[in-house]
Amino acid sequence: MKIAILFSAGRHAASGRPAPVPVELQAIRLARELIGQAAGDAAGDAAGDLSGDAPGVITGFHAGPDAGPLKDALGHGLSRLVQLSIGAQDDPLPSLAAALGAERFDLVLAGRSGQGGEDAGLLPYALARALGLPIVADACALAAGPQPGTLSLEQALPRGARRRLILRLPALITVHPAAPAPLPFAFAAMRRGMLETREGVPAPRAAGEVEERAYRARPKLIAKSAAGASATERLKAATEAASSGGRLLVDPSPEDAAREILAHLRQIGVLRH
Amino acid sequence: MSRLRRDPRMERAAHRIAGTPRPRFDLAAASAATSAATSAAPGRLRRDPRGEERLALVPGTPRRRLDRTQRVALAPAGAVPAAAMAETAPRLVVIAEPAYLVAVVPDAPGGRLTPHDRQVIGAARLLADAGGGAVLALVEMPGEDLAAAGVDRVLGLPVAGYDPEAKAALLHAVLDGLDIRHALLPESADGADLARRLAALTGEALFAGAESLTAKAITRAAQGRRIEQRRAPPRLITLAADASAPHGGAPHEAIPVVFALPTLAPGAILSAEFVPADPASVGLDEADFVVSAGNGVHDFTAFRALVAALNATPGASRMVCDAGLMPRAAQVGASGTVLDARCYFALGIAGAPQHLQGVARCEHVVAVNTDLHAAMIERAGLAIVADAQKVMPALIDALTGAGAAEAQP
Ligand SMILES: Cc1cc2nc3c(=O)[nH]c(=O)nc-3n(C[C@H](O)[C@H](O)[C@H](O)COP(=O)(O)OP(=O)(O)OC[C@H]3O[C@@H](n4cnc5c(N)ncnc54)[C@H](O)[C@@H]3O)c2cc1C
Ligand SMILES: Nc1ncnc2c1ncn2[C@@H]1O[C@H](COP(=O)(O)O)[C@@H](O)[C@H]1O
Repeated sequence: MKIAILFSAGRHAASGRPAPVPVELQAIRLARELIGQAAGDAAGDAAGDLSGDAPGVITGFHAGPDAGPLKDALGHGLSRLVQLSIGAQDDPLPSLAAALGAERFDLVLAGRSGQGGEDAGLLPYALARALGLPIVADACALAAGPQPGTLSLEQALPRGARRRLILRLPALITVHPAAPAPLPFAFAAMRRGMLETREGVPAPRAAGEVEERAYRARPKLIAKSAAGASATERLKAATEAASSGGRLLVDPSPEDAAREILAHLRQIGVLRH
Repeated sequence: MSRLRRDPRMERAAHRIAGTPRPRFDLAAASAATSAATSAAPGRLRRDPRGEERLALVPGTPRRRLDRTQRVALAPAGAVPAAAMAETAPRLVVIAEPAYLVAVVPDAPGGRLTPHDRQVIGAARLLADAGGGAVLALVEMPGEDLAAAGVDRVLGLPVAGYDPEAKAALLHAVLDGLDIRHALLPESADGADLARRLAALTGEALFAGAESLTAKAITRAAQGRRIEQRRAPPRLITLAADASAPHGGAPHEAIPVVFALPTLAPGAILSAEFVPADPASVGLDEADFVVSAGNGVHDFTAFRALVAALNATPGASRMVCDAGLMPRAAQVGASGTVLDARCYFALGIAGAPQHLQGVARCEHVVAVNTDLHAAMIERAGLAIVADAQKVMPALIDALTGAGAAEAQP
């Protein structure tokens, strides 16, 4: 199986220094474990031998002026990284579309959203459209599907729920932070990994109508009370969400109370039996 | 209460004899002047603290309790309540000839709007009301809470199962066919995915994860939250959670509209299966249904059995965690975990402000407490004044009884 992983030029969440994006490093692990599974050996073993005659290859792609800190991805278990040279302000989409279109990949993995650039998470969708691939978001586990040419994946949903999908390949999949943590960094693996530089497709971006300024954290609107309300009312607004009318039973028998509670829980749909 | 408040200083000033270098007062003389002064300046009415206290007294409790919010009908009930009544009577807002449409695509799992959906509809109302537009909700299953949330028009999107590609294609058709100035989606798991598919289909710019929104300007964070981007609202917008207030005014009409939707070929997803979270292992901040014990619960074996029977995540108040009866990780509240659950079931919890902050985002609250006046009882959608030790076994019996009854036939 041929897998491509897209790497963006990230910045560290706390320090702001150039660094790989964690979720893209998690994608390396998902890809390695998928290939390891196909070869019938444990993922841990697959992490040990890097570029040998594995039943699949994983290639990283980055479109940007230089690979910089993305060399770290080689230490986290990637065997080959291709850097497509474009200007710092260029659009990476045409370069990536050309490079991925030239070789046929069964699976393309990307991060959920970048960290340090536009951070909109739009690139994978635009790329999937350019390549004519179906896209599925927020994978946190991958496995071979029941039939050849299919993939079974788990999609992370809020509140710890999952959705198990079976999907026809080739496809583009974005990885969710709930996926397993990246493989540990190994310096020797980084030295051994291959870094290849190719010319990208220059695509200057049109200037948008977006105005940029330093970020200012805004208070989250949890609940708002009327201006000039008393302290009690403001506290109430902060502690009470829209409460739903409210039914009050005073001193029912325990059986009545239990029946009422269960009926209410079933009605709001949290109790499924 | 009827008597006027006296102002001794003013009364004294009325007795002052003018024109003398030292202040002199003739208290006997000018009683007429005094009465004239008091009638000219009516002053404040005298308060009657005892009478107010009598009104605030909650009847029928062994301990003396005062309720200063005065839910007990207040004496001077003149024209004010009539005006308030007229205010609260549900008037339907009708926008017959909208200048344009603002589309909203709520997640609405199972046809029920989430709090995030309501905020997105609130933001759409803001954009629509700025220029006489109407809010159009595009939903898979039209629910009945759309009107109260502030929706003018409803259009159903017939999508079978989980097929975001088909849903995006239908939305694309609607965006092309109707006069839609803005389309708003929640920046939630499904909403974010759908918005990006739509952006890729239409080739338009998407303003992803907006954190503040007005009719003139909209902002979002970029470059790892170092930069704030700001512009006039474009057509495609996704809104972050808690960035906009839900619609709080009168309900809108939410009438269905007809639109010929295209039929679509099936996508690449062969099957989709929903796997609910395991409540025992999911973290408290991610849990959907939390059952919580407070100082009023003494029987923790029954409590654990109840949590397992209800298939919920266990929580506790600080009193219980401090006593070591539940792990610290289970503490709900300001210094514990702030929940994001849909339903919170509080057993024997008084509802201190520090605790209520932790459940502020819960949509439904059920409380069992022996104290009628506990804050938790007031917060709850279903409140039961009873002993938790008696209700817990009854609940377990009802649940296992129901399970056994289902297993028999
Ligand atoms: C800085 C600070 C931070 C705090 N942070 C938190 C926090 O994060 N989370 C938190 O929970 N608390 C927090 N607290 C503590 C909080 O103020 C309260 O003390 C605590 O929440 C009270 O817990 P409780 O309701 O379980 O106990 P109590 O106040 O003792 O209330 C027990 C309730 O159970 C009822 N009851 C008694 N017997 C029965 C029975 N048999 N059946 C049914 N009901 C019965 C009583 O009527 C009463 O309402 C904080 C306090 C401070 C000062
Ligand atoms: N210049 C780039 N080169 C390669 N992949 C990229 C690039 N920019 C973004 N990506 C991929 O697209 C995902 C989403 O990025 P973004 O749309 O910038 O939030 C990232 O996690 C990467 O996987």
